[in-house]
Amino acid sequence: MTDTTPETAPESAEDRARKEAYFTASQSQLIWARFKKNRSAMAGAIVLAILIFMGLFAPFLSPYNPTIAGADKDYRNGAPQIPMFCDDNGCSWTPFLHGVKMELDMATLRRNPVIDPDVRRYVTLLPQGWEYRVAKFDIGIVSFNGFAMTTHLFGVEEGGIHIFGTDGTGKDVFSRTLHAIWTSLAVGTIGVVIAFVLALVIGGVAGYFGGWIDGVLQMITDAVRTVPAIPLFMALAAFAPPDWSSETRFFFISCILGLIGWPTLARRVRTHLLTERTQEYVLAAQLCGASSGHVIRRHLLPSFTSYIIVDLVISFPYMVLSETALSFIGLGLKEPVNSLGVLLQNVSKSDVLLNFQWEFIPVIFFVALVLAFVFVGDGLRDAADPYSSAKK
Amino acid sequence: MSLLSVENLQLKFRTDEGLVTAVDDVSFTLQAGEVLGLVGESGSGKSVTAKSIMMLNAENAVYDERSRITLNLESGPIDVLSLRRARDMKVVRGGAVSMIFQEPMASFAPAITIGAQMIEQLLLHTEMTKQQARKHSIEMLDRVGIKDPDKRIDQYAFQLSGGMRQRAMIAMALSTNPKVLIADEPTTALDVTIQAQVIELMKDLVSEFRMAILFITHDLGVIAQTADRVAVMYLGRIMESGPVRDVIRHPAHAYTQGLINALPKLDDLDAPLTPIPGDIPSPLERPSGCVFHPRNPTLVPGSRYEREVPPLTEVSPGHFAALFPEDVGPRS
Amino acid sequence: MNKPLITIEKLGIHYPLGQSLFGKPPVLKAVDDVSLKIEKGSFFGLVGESGSGKTTLGRATLRAAPITSGTVIYDDGEVVYDVGSIGKAQLKDYRTRAQLIFQDPYAALSPRMTVRDIIAEPLEVMKLTKNREETDARVREIAAKCRLNLEHLRRFPHAFSGGQRQRISIARALVCGPKFVVADEAVAALDVSIQADILNLLKSLQRDLDLTILFISHDLSVVAHVCDHVAVMYHGNIMEQAPTRQLFANPTHEYTQSLLSAIPSLDPDEPLRAKVYRPEEAR
Repeated sequence: MTDTTPETAPESAEDRARKEAYFTASQSQLIWARFKKNRSAMAGAIVLAILIFMGLFAPFLSPYNPTIAGADKDYRNGAPQIPMFCDDNGCSWTPFLHGVKMELDMATLRRNPVIDPDVRRYVTLLPQGWEYRVAKFDIGIVSFNGFAMTTHLFGVEEGGIHIFGTDGTGKDVFSRTLHAIWTSLAVGTIGVVIAFVLALVIGGVAGYFGGWIDGVLQMITDAVRTVPAIPLFMALAAFAPPDWSSETRFFFISCILGLIGWPTLARRVRTHLLTERTQEYVLAAQLCGASSGHVIRRHLLPSFTSYIIVDLVISFPYMVLSETALSFIGLGLKEPVNSLGVLLQNVSKSDVLLNFQWEFIPVIFFVALVLAFVFVGDGLRDAADPYSSAKK
Repeated sequence: MSLLSVENLQLKFRTDEGLVTAVDDVSFTLQAGEVLGLVGESGSGKSVTAKSIMMLNAENAVYDERSRITLNLESGPIDVLSLRRARDMKVVRGGAVSMIFQEPMASFAPAITIGAQMIEQLLLHTEMTKQQARKHSIEMLDRVGIKDPDKRIDQYAFQLSGGMRQRAMIAMALSTNPKVLIADEPTTALDVTIQAQVIELMKDLVSEFRMAILFITHDLGVIAQTADRVAVMYLGRIMESGPVRDVIRHPAHAYTQGLINALPKLDDLDAPLTPIPGDIPSPLERPSGCVFHPRNPTLVPGSRYEREVPPLTEVSPGHFAALFPEDVGPRS
Repeated sequence: MNKPLITIEKLGIHYPLGQSLFGKPPVLKAVDDVSLKIEKGSFFGLVGESGSGKTTLGRATLRAAPITSGTVIYDDGEVVYDVGSIGKAQLKDYRTRAQLIFQDPYAALSPRMTVRDIIAEPLEVMKLTKNREETDARVREIAAKCRLNLEHLRRFPHAFSGGQRQRISIARALVCGPKFVVADEAVAALDVSIQADILNLLKSLQRDLDLTILFISHDLSVVAHVCDHVAVMYHGNIMEQAPTRQLFANPTHEYTQSLLSAIPSLDPDEPLRAKVYRPEEAR
């Protein structure tokens, strides 16, 4: 009872309804109710939802093609442009940018963009721009080319708008970041799915049957765990033919991540099954003559789903991190593919560090993405553990 | 002056569901050489009370500002609840107060020998050298009835049987010569025959070391055999307290009476077992007034106990019960 | 004398302790050469301390523990089963006749199923009912017998206290109409004030449903109050068995005497004088 409610208050109908709702709430409803109370997890979930949304609608949200085709030759290594309403020549209702042109800096002998404050370029909403395809997918034999679209959220009437600036070749950092989020999420998803299918099968078989099967599978799992990741990646990178398309390379990397990532998950699945299998309610079902199928379907799997979701969410950032790490050391995805790792690799140059700090903006998104996953995962784990509140 | 005094102890836990009252206005004193039994069922707050004496409750515990726990040592009184730093706490934890737990396996580190753990504790709390500490530990193990103590001291907890482990635990708790020993369900996990031995041992030790024991259990029989005084707790409140003979032979409160009636007794196999009606309510739904009133069959609906908290009223000398004075009649 | 429902003859249950390359691995004799007769309609108490093999013995009668040697015969007048060598189809039928009540009311109920689903599960698994209406009717009937509120059926186990959970657990064991029930420490995890309630419930159910109950417990005083026949187990062997009154009035075996003397009396002036049982001296 909370301190604010007087202890003598008679039980109201509303109170009883609330209690009955608690009593008849299923496990998943309880988990959700607990999750909602966890503020950092909820914040993480909101950030995550926004990032996924941004990734999903990246082509629409980004004004320019993130590849070299969309590069702005007039604004290379350009600083972020913030749309404004007023300048020395007065104010306007529509936001605008000043014009830019490349000029040779005589001191450094470099061509740098210079702002021309007398030229105004007005921001426009929903302009027509580069062509992209909606609902396009390509999974091996099944492929669908999608619908072509050219409408974008915003643009500028003439020249370019680069709210996060541009890189050395004039590519829009904002557009690149959005696409990179999507690529990294996609690699992570494929990796996690592969790892998880393997983990469920191997860990599930080991945990449910136990005995020598468990012993053999554990040995295999341990063997895979001992394979050092970096040298393996280097070998695989050397094996991958350089003429592979960026899509093939992308899929290849995802598969490797999945094949490396399963042992930890398999171990968790197995441990969970082992503890759950010896629960008394499972014995009770067996004493009714329930078959293995019934026990797995009715008792083990439901007890599992919440943990599976938690495990999935928790292992996701590791996939994103691995992809980033691989791309960062130059073994994973490469330019011109946009992934967070590729963008991170770009900012490791000292020139960028000293002069073009805006290229760091993708790093912020990367950190936000990983943190959001970690917070949501932690929140889910706390909420899914029915004993976490009883222990207090 | 009493060795330990607990005054108006009120303790709530901050949880997702709000503040949950665990202990509500509990006061008692403990003299040197005395055994005070704290009896209660699950959720009665008996363990939480004991843990607060050593400030062992979880981080989310909120103590009421009127709560006082005073330890009167030769060096002067210590206000336990005002201690903040681990360094100050050392005087209490493992120094003046020791604790033994229900599950001895849990209190011994699995990868360290019993001896190493005992010696470490002695080095921390006394001026002994390592050799002295080892010698003293062997003496203590011998004192609690462990055979071959010089061999056992180099063994691990899992190598001992349940009864032996509990003895070793007692030896460890007593080796620093504490003034107060808190025994939290020390016999619950043991078989009856071993329980009987541990009870014997503890009775011997009180008379030998003259320390005060706070004995926590749910078993009235164990209390009858060990304690001088008893306090019966229910949902964080003391329902009845007094000399053990008085309380068990002439229970004044309906809860104590109910507990005794619910207990199967060996000397009268025909006596019906009378359960206390209803269930122990969840800590989130603390009843108003007297916390026991919803389960009290002797109350008429609309009685004072449903709204007001009854005070502890003296029934006979030193014997108190949570009843309104008009309900305390002369004993027949 | 009534006909025995369960006849245990020279039952041995041995577990291998680890493996050894040469010779026989050492074995743990959880149950060693035990013979017992459990009469129809009796409330049979099996008492022992931890490690005495009482739980293993109880599970063996339900075929939930492997039988090494000896036999367990179930004979309720309709069918006779040799539990140790029972066939698959017969085992299915035996499951409807013999059930188990668990000790821990928290672990024994799946947290993800409603009370109705938990109680209905045996009926559904064993296909004892034709349709959902019939299942619901049976569930409601047994729930009422176990004094569960009907509106509680839609709730999940987390809404209940220990005593109520134990009643759910009992209802699940009884829903398929068994004749023989093993109650393994069914009240050990409950508080004193609740324990009496569950004991009284078990007693009344036994009378109403004509059950034979094997009540396994470490607590002599509980057994003394509910059982009509008691067997005392120690290290896999039965030390003594007798009608309850006879056993408590006049325990003949030294181990029983030591167990009885170790129970702390409620009277502070009747000090504990526990006799120590040392089997090596007795032999």
